[in-house]
Amino acid sequence: MKNYALTIGWLYPELMSTYGDRGNIIVLQKRCKWRGIEVEIRRLNVGFDEKQLTTCDMLFMGGAQDKQQQIVAEDLMKKREKLRRMIDDGIPGLYICGAYQFLGKYYKEADGTIINSLKIFDLFTENPGIRFSRQIGASAALVLNNKIIVGFENHGGRTYLGKKIKPFGKVIKGFGNNGKDQTEGAVYKNSFGTYFHGPILPKNPEFADHLIKLSLEKKYKKFPIHLSPLNDALELQAHRFALNAIKI
Amino acid sequence: MNTLLILFGNLLSSISRFFNLGSGSTWPGHITLFLNPNFIQQILEKNNLKIILIAGTNGKTTTGKLIQAILEGNNKKVFQNQAGANLLNGIASSLIFNSNLLGIIKKDFAIFEIDESTLPLILKEIINPDYIIILNLFRDQLDRYGEINTISKKWGDSIQHLPSKVTLILNADDPQVAFLGKSRPNTLYFGINPLKNKGEKFQHASDSIYCPNCNAKLTYKTICFSHLGDWACKECNYERPKKTFISSLHYPLSGTYNEYNTNAAILLTQTLGLKKDKITASLKDFKPAFGRQEILDINGKKIQIFLSKNPTGFNESLKTITNLNAKNLILLLNDRIPDGRDVSWIWDVDFEEFSSQFKNIVVSGDRTYDMGLRLKYAELKKFIIEENIAKAITIALSKMTNNETLYILATYSAMLEVRKILTGKKIL
Repeated sequence: MKNYALTIGWLYPELMSTYGDRGNIIVLQKRCKWRGIEVEIRRLNVGFDEKQLTTCDMLFMGGAQDKQQQIVAEDLMKKREKLRRMIDDGIPGLYICGAYQFLGKYYKEADGTIINSLKIFDLFTENPGIRFSRQIGASAALVLNNKIIVGFENHGGRTYLGKKIKPFGKVIKGFGNNGKDQTEGAVYKNSFGTYFHGPILPKNPEFADHLIKLSLEKKYKKFPIHLSPLNDALELQAHRFALNAIKI
Repeated sequence: MNTLLILFGNLLSSISRFFNLGSGSTWPGHITLFLNPNFIQQILEKNNLKIILIAGTNGKTTTGKLIQAILEGNNKKVFQNQAGANLLNGIASSLIFNSNLLGIIKKDFAIFEIDESTLPLILKEIINPDYIIILNLFRDQLDRYGEINTISKKWGDSIQHLPSKVTLILNADDPQVAFLGKSRPNTLYFGINPLKNKGEKFQHASDSIYCPNCNAKLTYKTICFSHLGDWACKECNYERPKKTFISSLHYPLSGTYNEYNTNAAILLTQTLGLKKDKITASLKDFKPAFGRQEILDINGKKIQIFLSKNPTGFNESLKTITNLNAKNLILLLNDRIPDGRDVSWIWDVDFEEFSSQFKNIVVSGDRTYDMGLRLKYAELKKFIIEENIAKAITIALSKMTNNETLYILATYSAMLEVRKILTGKKIL
């Protein structure tokens, strides 16, 4: 697939990458490279020029600690309009945990304080307080086409979806968005939000390829683009092993 | 009551060791604290011990062992809680094992290594320690410990309540750790010579590169590893403490991280009044703690085990064995409670930087396929995946000659498993 090239924008690699989420970038990068797709990773750190966003064919943002999220929130709020337009326009993206929450309308702290978010996804998140524990553990969810996604969750917030957004998957094991309604993550146009770390892409290579395919199709305005196959024996073995470990 | 508890605790531990059920280093304390929650306080009140607490993500056991070696080399009587038994129950157990039936401990010093999340609890039981060493704070087992800002806030809260006569010994090169001593009297700092670090760049898993005082991004004159280095904040002018102890005495163990551990130990023992040459002399024949660069001889082949349990520790182990020109390597990844159930962190290890020189790599452990996948994406060409740890060791050994060393990097429970396989003894 020599004639293709992708630029992946990695939002805040210095701050929003606490739970091994860098693995997602490594997987996207290598799965492009192994197919001969030229790939550039653009690191967008605090203070980046918002014009850089529009040069990206795919966006990625991971989760982080509260303090680091505050620093990022301040910076990203300034670039909200551009980001919203890209997401509305269907630029593919993957947003994990804190990044996923931040795309919603607001985050309500345990003491009732409302922290405004980007208001791009129709959802909100609440932290029920220290009397409730963080939702931690190995997880699996059923997504479109009956595929199972495996991951590891670790989040304090509970997210509730509005009417204008669909869940990414249905929880088979674990907590998902809130531990109640069995929804996990969210999909809006070509953007995916999820609570799954693990990181999510190494053990779910089909999902990684789906993001690459969407990005190529969007960029080259060609449908469908078929990705050349890779040998995923090890990926699938790790996937199966993760499912066995949680008895699925 | 305590007499009975001490008697019973020692008996329990002997039985456990006799049947090779582990060294019984936590159960006696666990039961004792259940029957008498004030046991630790009562025993310590009875004795005139100097108490040294050691906390931090990496290096607690080694630093404790270094201090013990120096003190014993200078004719002091010392005891420690067993490596890894660093919760309240492990500390209570060590008191049980070292006291007579009247609760009297005939020692001069008690060294306790303390689990990160337990430090605030311990400071409620041990209100008057003489020294607290804080080595570093890195991301580690986020599913168990939580994020490092949460931990450092808890530490800060409990340190604030300490009497000022407690001497705090902090790592100056770790901004968040150094911050714990900001404007606190009776605080000493150690680090390593910043001039030695030229040319290092940021590793991916760098946690505290924003100012703990004002949140602005820190600037570094030099970086040692992770977020350790010669840092300063241009916004609020808070910077690495100027008066920092950087010894360049003989270092008994390899790896930059062990220079930190050694300097912490030397600073503490110098503060106690011990002479430099006597300190150096007592470290000459230092033997590492089990699993921490410990060397085992197996049928003429050398095996060296590096406990590597979080991104920073793993990076430093890889760097150290690269400098030792390692060719043969086993990577062991388990996901049991002491390892952390979440193995996401292996993607924060910079395997890409260390891919070239190994000719014989075997991966194993509970999560061997995750580790294999990590290596695949780091584009390491040849490695073998073997679920069974004993078989993995046999395979790796069969591919090397007698004068070579096999390096094993392992998470906590995997390290214990390796030692059990190689020595036939269970440690914990």
